[in-house]
Amino acid sequence: MTNIDELVATLAKDATAVKPAPHPFVLSLQWIGAAAAYLAISLTFSGLRPDLLERFHSFWFGAEIFTLLGIFLVSSLSAALLAFPDLHQKRLLAFAPILPFTLFLAIILFSWRADNPPAPLPVHSFECTLSIMLMTLLPAVWTFYSMRKYASTHYRLAGSVALLSAFSVGALWLRLHEVNDSIAHVIEWHYLPMLAIGLIGLWLGRVVLKW
Amino acid sequence: MAGTTLPLEMAVYGAMTGYYSSVLFSNSAPVTDTGDNLAALMQRSLSGDTQAYAVLLKETARLLRPFLAKRLFAGSEVDDVLQEILLSIHKARHTYDGERPYKPWAYAIAKFRLQDHLRAHYADHLHDAEDISGLEEILPDDVTETGFSYESISVEVEKLPEKQATILRLMHQDGYTSKEIAEKMGMNESAVKVAAHRAYKVLRKQLERS
Repeated sequence: MTNIDELVATLAKDATAVKPAPHPFVLSLQWIGAAAAYLAISLTFSGLRPDLLERFHSFWFGAEIFTLLGIFLVSSLSAALLAFPDLHQKRLLAFAPILPFTLFLAIILFSWRADNPPAPLPVHSFECTLSIMLMTLLPAVWTFYSMRKYASTHYRLAGSVALLSAFSVGALWLRLHEVNDSIAHVIEWHYLPMLAIGLIGLWLGRVVLKW
Repeated sequence: MAGTTLPLEMAVYGAMTGYYSSVLFSNSAPVTDTGDNLAALMQRSLSGDTQAYAVLLKETARLLRPFLAKRLFAGSEVDDVLQEILLSIHKARHTYDGERPYKPWAYAIAKFRLQDHLRAHYADHLHDAEDISGLEEILPDDVTETGFSYESISVEVEKLPEKQATILRLMHQDGYTSKEIAEKMGMNESAVKVAAHRAYKVLRKQLERS
């Protein structure tokens, strides 16, 4: 009997009935639902910015929030697909966050150009990044915890996308809460840290999701 | 149950020896090709059918062996990686729902484990931090210094995997360069050097032990 035969016999002997993992669409819906509830509760406690309705009359603000929401939704879906070894055979969807990110980048650039004369910078700076990070912690923990139950073969990318999805929840919260019209500040202290978060996610994915 | 499991295994095995042949499972609809068979076997395995699971793993091993043999140098490595893959398939079997094709799922895990293996292998090489070409120059000296000649260790060389033994024989007995061996054996030069390096490591251990 070869080693392979022995291994097969052992594995077959140990095999019990297994409940298949939920479909990634269901999984991502669970994450999105939980994150949406978390966002709603946080906004209830912290409060919406008083000029929110007025700000939505600005095309670029609306587009920014809309694409940020898109990043959150699509990256949640992508993270769920990336948790499966074969990406649930939906490779295109797994890499779909590229689209909202590209759109978001373009919108931010146009917003920056449209910010003329520039809105005054707020007095605070890194506090925004810190707040977003704190807000990100909980969704990041539950997403990673959930993803660990599966078997990602793209663990670095999965970690990065999962963390970006969680970060977008924090970014959305702050944009809907903070009275701040300076796009320069928003780029510097809200969105540029996203790059660092993406890189941290690559590392975290390797540490947490490797199996 | 015991009466139905043996015919199942025989039926599946019979069908799997030829592609696109039809097989009728004892309590399921007919399936038409090997991919379907594997998916059906996995579905049965997920519901706790150990016989179906054993057949599935054996068939998966049969499917993946040529895939690994093409990408790995030594036969022992193929077996090692194959075992890793089967263990991973076992661990990740809950991520397969039986609704999508089985082969892409299994190959995704196989590629992942193969990459892991190759990454570890090359990291190990870097860790050794000894230039292979340097080793080629140094090692024969060491062997003569300690009183060894190729002839005196030829018995140990013959115990190596066939490819490694041939490379060392050509290199040290017949005086071929690694480039010439590569041409002769239809390999690339770096693969010859890596094989020689591995053989040196094994020999060194064996000689140290004796």
